[in-house]
Amino acid sequence: MKKRFSLLLFIVLLALPALPAVAMVDDAISAAMEAAFPYVKQGYNVREDLWGGDLGVGQEKAITHTLFKGNDYWFFMASDTLAAKVSVHIYDGEGKLVEQETWHKGPSFGARFKPTATGTYYLIVKVDKSPEERTHWALVYGYK
Amino acid sequence: MQLRSLYLSLALTGSAFFAQAEKPPAQIDLSQFQQATQIDNVVVPVPAEIFLVLDKIGNPNWKAEIRDVSLKTGERHQIALLLGTVIADGFVAVEATDRERVKEIGRDVLKLAGAIGVRESVLGRSNSIIEKADKGDWNEVKREFDGALQDVRNAMSELNDDQLAHLVSMGGWLRGTEVLTSVLKKNYSADGADLLHQPQLLSYFRGQIANMPESLRKASLIDQINRRLIEISPLIKTNDISEKSVGEIHTITSDLVKSILQKDA
Repeated sequence: MKKRFSLLLFIVLLALPALPAVAMVDDAISAAMEAAFPYVKQGYNVREDLWGGDLGVGQEKAITHTLFKGNDYWFFMASDTLAAKVSVHIYDGEGKLVEQETWHKGPSFGARFKPTATGTYYLIVKVDKSPEERTHWALVYGYK
Repeated sequence: MQLRSLYLSLALTGSAFFAQAEKPPAQIDLSQFQQATQIDNVVVPVPAEIFLVLDKIGNPNWKAEIRDVSLKTGERHQIALLLGTVIADGFVAVEATDRERVKEIGRDVLKLAGAIGVRESVLGRSNSIIEKADKGDWNEVKREFDGALQDVRNAMSELNDDQLAHLVSMGGWLRGTEVLTSVLKKNYSADGADLLHQPQLLSYFRGQIANMPESLRKASLIDQINRRLIEISPLIKTNDISEKSVGEIHTITSDLVKSILQKDA
């Protein structure tokens, strides 16, 4: 089940008695924000809106996003499972891969896209590898 | 020695292989992701994302886009829409670097959130907006408005009021689009008009309305929004949006934003 969080909810949840599943998604959120942090210094506005959930190995999910020509976007996906490999890739409305740059580091992944046309794009998030049956993930993005 | 070199080469090759991300498919079949258009899987951009592009391609007079309206509160659905428009106003005021207006809007957000029972969720944000506006920390003020939007939506979801949460986003989009088209009307450009190419988002909002309980869906204001979104739809289907279409979209969104201001909508 896809869950949406705000940073404030993240802080509130940390204050609650530990619920293992929720705590793990919080850790994934923390990892995603950590991946995004260096880009804040580069001038990217990182949104307060977050996406997260859990996926099985090899399982994918699509998140639809309207992206604007003229902006420069970075998407950051991360997992709380250190041995996991996750990814996010960006496709246009025709299913064509459009991202310009990606990196991965441990359980984090970044993908950059500067659209040449405003429109609907699909962020395909995936757990590529993991020692867990279900792996928690979180996605944030920044733009400038 | 040769064996050690071989092992080292293999280890380096393995590590290089790990560091390189597996190549994703260059083409995929999107029909396998039909659930992507479902409510939880759609990102609604904030007005700041669009306004940033306008700043890059021109020099909009943001002060001219600030509105000074009296906020009348009626039914909960009207208040939710109004709250969305007011948060969008916050982004406009930030673009205009209008300190006092930003602070007023910070207080208005708190007042409207209180009117629908989620005041506590934005109390901290409201105070932070005022504090950061005083410092002229505009990027942080933008973040706080974005955060206020998410906090209100999450608070409403926790109260099992998801419908109202969607209306906050919808109100923000309507006001943001009104401002975008107002800027474009004054100084049309194809690049600017391209920003209106948001057919999927429009379809998403209409889908939200379709999923509302009948009593809410048939409320005069919601019904009006639904009908007028249908009018906007063909105007933004392409990336080649004319000056005339921009004018029409502006008229529609202005009418809707005015209706949202009516207490008995």
